[in-house]
Amino acid sequence: MAAIQLEELSFRYPGAEADTLAPLSLSVADGTAFALLGASGAGKTTLLNLLSGLLTPSSGRVLFDADDVSDLAGRQRNVAQVFQFPVLYESMSVAENLAFPLRARKFDPLWIDERVQRIAADLEITQQLPLVASQLSLFQKQLVAIGRALVRPDVSVVLLDEPLTAVEPRMKWRLRQTLRRVQEELGVTMIYVTHDQTEALTFADQVAVMAEGGLLQVGTPEQIYTTPSCEFVGYFIGSPGMNFVDAEQLAPSLSLLAGTQRVGFRPEWAQLQAQDAGQLRGVVKSIQLAGTEYGAATGVVRLQTAAGQIAVRGQLDVTVGQSVGIHLARHLCFSAQGQLLLEDYE
Amino acid sequence: MLQLSQIQLAPGAEVFEHDFRAGTLTVVLGRNRSGKTNLCRLIAGLACSATGRVVLNDQDLSGLRPQSRSVAVVFQAFVNYPNWTVAENITSPMRAQGVSRRDREARAKQLAEVLGLEALLQRLPNELSGGQQQRLAIARAMAQQAQVLVLDEPLVNLDYKLRETLVLELQSLLQQSGTTVIYTSTDPKDAFALGDEVVLLDEHMKLQSGTPLEVYRHPQSFVAADLMSDPGVNPFTTKATMVAAARQAAVRPEHVYLASSPPAGEVSEFQMQVLGLETSGDETFIHGAVETKRWVVRCPGMVQVSAGQTLPVIVRNDDIMRFGVI
Repeated sequence: MAAIQLEELSFRYPGAEADTLAPLSLSVADGTAFALLGASGAGKTTLLNLLSGLLTPSSGRVLFDADDVSDLAGRQRNVAQVFQFPVLYESMSVAENLAFPLRARKFDPLWIDERVQRIAADLEITQQLPLVASQLSLFQKQLVAIGRALVRPDVSVVLLDEPLTAVEPRMKWRLRQTLRRVQEELGVTMIYVTHDQTEALTFADQVAVMAEGGLLQVGTPEQIYTTPSCEFVGYFIGSPGMNFVDAEQLAPSLSLLAGTQRVGFRPEWAQLQAQDAGQLRGVVKSIQLAGTEYGAATGVVRLQTAAGQIAVRGQLDVTVGQSVGIHLARHLCFSAQGQLLLEDYE
Repeated sequence: MLQLSQIQLAPGAEVFEHDFRAGTLTVVLGRNRSGKTNLCRLIAGLACSATGRVVLNDQDLSGLRPQSRSVAVVFQAFVNYPNWTVAENITSPMRAQGVSRRDREARAKQLAEVLGLEALLQRLPNELSGGQQQRLAIARAMAQQAQVLVLDEPLVNLDYKLRETLVLELQSLLQQSGTTVIYTSTDPKDAFALGDEVVLLDEHMKLQSGTPLEVYRHPQSFVAADLMSDPGVNPFTTKATMVAAARQAAVRPEHVYLASSPPAGEVSEFQMQVLGLETSGDETFIHGAVETKRWVVRCPGMVQVSAGQTLPVIVRNDDIMRFGVI
């Protein structure tokens, strides 16, 4: 396995007027579970294709450990891929499917058997080894496809492109769990592309958020959620996303960093209070039930304020049309450009 | 009011009746193949294996052709006119009804705005994304201004951010329109977010109806509790009733607390074998097993637990739902 380094990497389709991928730099340590998160059109797949060698960068370099692989073809890069839908030889057995990448590279047959057994045991598909691939469920097929990617010992990185798309919702967490366990056991560098925040935040040690061909933030799931680098990340992660209001609309009691123009807060960081309390006034627009806590209804209250619409999570002891005060128990400061401002640490 | 009586959603299924109150939005909640689409087709007058009497404002619709009913429908597999622009698609039902050009255009513009299609009015349907085509089908159905609007899983397959905004916008749009709306879904979140009322369907049978909060608080059966829960409810067998026949009990995933932050009051403790977890940032689902049953704990924020560990969890006795003898 390898560490991956992207240096000022960009891509533009020939004849296009703008970059599909703006120059970006990124480093992924060896053995990391890394997620690329973004909506469709964010540039995730372009980046993945640059890593796999399907596309050649317009500028910049791709390094696997110390080796510059920018100009190498896909086959020479030792990259394994898992796609949205399982790609298997349907008429071969699971064991033959797993052995295929090794036979093609002329590994010792005895060693191949051992390796196939090991990977199958890791993925808990030992019992399925003799079955023909076409007999498997989609869930099992995707496990085998993952096995095929992991079976080669000489792979630098495993790339996964929305690998849970075809798996039914109630089974997704199990496949993700298995993937993560195997990733840790084998110490594999994995890059996982998804548009789903739950998948990214659950799977990865490090998450990179992308939008419009650029990289907005790289951090741990915790950092991405609690300290989004900019308004887009704050809004994109979380359901409902982070609220943003103009600082001048807030009562001066809130402590703000120098240069603060916008204030961001998660729906659960705010509390509804009496009309004259808190830092912001609002009128209840709608109430969305989510369940009960201690028998009382809880959910999301949406309010109209002088600073725009906001959402507050908590008890639903208000009625539509009611005027309330909004207290921010916790908040973040953002610049006029929507960038997160942080206190200076000594 | 839309009154259904003597309804049988499939041959041999139990007969039921239901009144959809005028101007309210009812979410019909049920798993795949529970009879939701049959119900929609019956109301619209389309061919299906369901039978029964459908009365709209005292007029018996049975025997009326679909186009003679004041019912607009959008199915999951939506249909648009491929050769007409978005604007022409939206105005088409109003042209057929003889609405003036000015009113047609004003209404089309309003619907396009609400459904996020205003920049696409001159495009053809095949130039739209799947989500945009679905929204166009909804706009066209709403343009009919029928007394009843039937939406059969209209937001399925849309990504979650888009769903989040559309659910909110649909809610206010439908409330303003005064239409009787029937909205089918497999997701209890839709019932909470949109429903004035919810009807639970299971195996072609009506299980229960009421406001979402009533049905959530007082499910009449285990299946009803499970349908109105995402993820499903956590089952267990009550120990206090060992002498009598075993009773089925369950607790909702959001009503299970970690022993590290226990709730007040009378509680019961369980030991959960953790199998895995998933987090969306705002909340974490911990998957595991209690005795031999699969459980999920739903807690706010991000939680640090690992697969393989035994996690003590606490349930308030008031949150335990009990059901009849099994």
